[in-house]
Amino acid sequence: MQPMLDRDILERLISRALRSGGTYADVFCERRHTIAYRLQDGKLHDGSYSIAQGVGIRVIVGETAGYAYSDDLSIEALLRAADAASLVARSSPNGSERRIDLTGVQVPAVYDRSRREHASSERYADLLSRADIAARAYDPRIVAVNAHVVDELQDVWIASSDGRLATDHRPMVTLGIQAIASEHEERGSGYAADGGRTSLAYFESVTPEELARDAARIATINVDAIPAPTGEMAMVVGAGGGGVLLHEAVGHGLESDFNRQGTSLYSGRIGERVASELVTIYDDGNLQDERGSVSVDDEGIAGAHKVLVEDGILRGYMQDRHNAALMGVAPTGSGRRQSFRFLPQPRMCNTYMPNGSSTLDEIVGSTQRGIYAKSFAGGQVEISKGDFVFMIAEGYLIEDGKVTAPVKNATIVGNGPDAMTKVVAVGNDSRLARRHYTCGKGGQYVPVGVGMPTVKIASITVGGTQHG
Amino acid sequence: MDEGQALEHATSAVALALSLGADQAEATVSSVRRFHIEARGESVAKLEGSTGKSLHVRVFTGSRNATLVTSDFSPESMRAALRRTVDQAGAIAPDPFTGLPDVCASDLPDLALYDAAIADREDAAKLEDVLALERWIREDPRIQNSSGSHYGDGISTLALANSAGFQASYRSTRAGRSSGPVAQDGPLKRTAHYGTAARYLAELEDVERVARSAARRATEMFGARKPPTMRLPVIFERDVAAAVMDELFQAISAANVATGNSWAAERVGDRIGSELVTVVDDGRMPGKLGSAPFDGEGVATRRTPVFERGVLRTFLYDSYYARKLGGQTTGNSTGGGIGANSFYLQAGAQSLDELVAGTERGVLILDTIGFATEHASGNYSRGARGFYIERGELAYPIDEFTIAGKIDAMLAGIDAVANDLRFDGSVVAPSFRVAEMTVSGR
Repeated sequence: MQPMLDRDILERLISRALRSGGTYADVFCERRHTIAYRLQDGKLHDGSYSIAQGVGIRVIVGETAGYAYSDDLSIEALLRAADAASLVARSSPNGSERRIDLTGVQVPAVYDRSRREHASSERYADLLSRADIAARAYDPRIVAVNAHVVDELQDVWIASSDGRLATDHRPMVTLGIQAIASEHEERGSGYAADGGRTSLAYFESVTPEELARDAARIATINVDAIPAPTGEMAMVVGAGGGGVLLHEAVGHGLESDFNRQGTSLYSGRIGERVASELVTIYDDGNLQDERGSVSVDDEGIAGAHKVLVEDGILRGYMQDRHNAALMGVAPTGSGRRQSFRFLPQPRMCNTYMPNGSSTLDEIVGSTQRGIYAKSFAGGQVEISKGDFVFMIAEGYLIEDGKVTAPVKNATIVGNGPDAMTKVVAVGNDSRLARRHYTCGKGGQYVPVGVGMPTVKIASITVGGTQHG
Repeated sequence: MDEGQALEHATSAVALALSLGADQAEATVSSVRRFHIEARGESVAKLEGSTGKSLHVRVFTGSRNATLVTSDFSPESMRAALRRTVDQAGAIAPDPFTGLPDVCASDLPDLALYDAAIADREDAAKLEDVLALERWIREDPRIQNSSGSHYGDGISTLALANSAGFQASYRSTRAGRSSGPVAQDGPLKRTAHYGTAARYLAELEDVERVARSAARRATEMFGARKPPTMRLPVIFERDVAAAVMDELFQAISAANVATGNSWAAERVGDRIGSELVTVVDDGRMPGKLGSAPFDGEGVATRRTPVFERGVLRTFLYDSYYARKLGGQTTGNSTGGGIGANSFYLQAGAQSLDELVAGTERGVLILDTIGFATEHASGNYSRGARGFYIERGELAYPIDEFTIAGKIDAMLAGIDAVANDLRFDGSVVAPSFRVAEMTVSGR
């Protein structure tokens, strides 16, 4: 693959970036080509092609980071960016620039790094059309289907002042289907999506028909659903997509920037009990083809398996280079960014809980009254106090140990550490969710994965509209 | 990039697209110089300064369209990418409603969107802003930490050209400052955020006021409890009121109406809100963040009454969805989607304090978390924090609860609107009260 910038230019830019001082500098080069199509009203509605290409240069001086990017690849523009990034270093430029010698870093691939081409228009169109037909055939109450397919190929090169030159080629496909059902005055929507760091061949095993039927099924359930109850009750969280709970309730609080700054409730608590002893949480950047996987992260560090919580004890944070250096520990391959226009941040990759010992039947059977949250439509956490919310996309009542009526319009509100101490059962059915989650933090969006077995939380607040 | 250079890039992209087989083409070039500084304590945490550019081309071939977005302006790359985009358009289903707008803007007033004081501001002054924010929030001894104080600005140039002969450009500025103090309440950390944004430096709330508002928001939650589950009046403070308006905007966006994602479909002409619900989309107010002389496809922006005393008058359209749904474009194109100009709920006469004083028992919402709204059904639900109101006074802070309702029922229930509207964003609202909603807590 043709590098975006020659090695001697990368070396020169790092030298230049450090000439006013600084403890560390890096250059992040990115080229990303994305093809997308959307379907509406049963027809291919539009297509798009996008190219994002540029270079971001960072200089670190103690706790301070300077950053500048350029989408102009001329040497003059790149040197200007290096100078702009070095404004945080206060010493005057000295004549003798530090010499940098870059050496390529080899890391194992956790996805196919050979695909260089997008598919033909017909293949994308075929996936969307098959999804549309299957969703409409599922139930006569399906009144609209909207679907999209996105195929992205991203190349990155990361050169750093410690002499490392890492490169990665990251594919990503996503097929998403939204179905809308209507009956009488009631409307409901359902969404299903999958893909990952792979190619369109993935949709031979997880077919557009399967995804479309799932979207249509959830839409019709949401038409039939009754208003969700309100107040405190037990919650059984579904395997797979329930992992959003871990991501919000615990994951963000364990990102190293919040902990180094002392703004997370988990700051300074490694080794302490933060959850029920049934709770173990991992974050892993090395899972084959998952959305959150990175052969190397956006700072050139190999993706890794991290133990965040083990048997309820806090074991570690997710570290990027800058915060790791300030905290005196090693980075964990968690430095990620949306694009060359952004500074890296410590982020989750694929966050999941391994198997426990209960069965789904035991967990539901032990619940007198509660809610079964099979999947979530998104969530958010406030990392200082740990309060979180998430919205149930597919949920049911549990009455006398049985799953009964579907419910709609339910938001769950809780507090991370509180909810984690109330985990009273963990299922033996852990799996990763379908691959379509994107996480936002500080205005930057990155793809992530989540996973979980069925889990029971003894008590949580369900915010519906059905009072009493 | 100045306006002349941006227009030149746009017109040459249109010409290139036509030469590669497009029947019609439209190109938008934007260039932004961005600056951001963040301080924590007495030092700078981040300093970012860059200039970026983007070209957005829509190509049309035989009632089909495809879009190119690229940051690579080199002639070889542009030619290859446009060729590919024209090919892509060939795969799309023909759609008689696709194409350039029928009429582009002919009047292009100067809307005073550019402030030289922002463009010329020295970095040292910006640095002093964020350090001062950090000092001010610590005037309160309960605040010892922060998630950062920020100043940011952007100086933009935008040019649009199309194959029907439209060519226009404008410059704009924006700036903002904000702070995120963290207060220690016994074992709990309580964080808050407050900010201000405007097209003019002089219109930003000053540093002291931003810091004091942020600090107050962090400390006033001390000792917050979880409220019982109940139905009662709910007051949405200005910032959260604006977030509700954003949900309303989604419902009246013609793109969502056309794709089945709006509860408001087929309800134009209906009385949905109370008498107090007058909502306007206005792209022509001088100096406002939501203003621009033309929209994302070169159509003149305008003032559109969306709700008048509770009655839904129109959806907001671009030219494609206007043709498709039989409406008129309202100048809300983003060049492929539909976006707000200044979309706001008309202010009332009372202050927020008077609204609270007039509430026997209720809840004041100061902050919400969560973002999913089911636009097809209009089901709204959020995690929230704020105050419990008793006998017209803020009795005690509450958190870890949710509020829920249907957007249309909420509009119908608005029984008081405050006078605190400010245009610090594109979608804004004054504080308002909904007569009854479900609050879920204990």
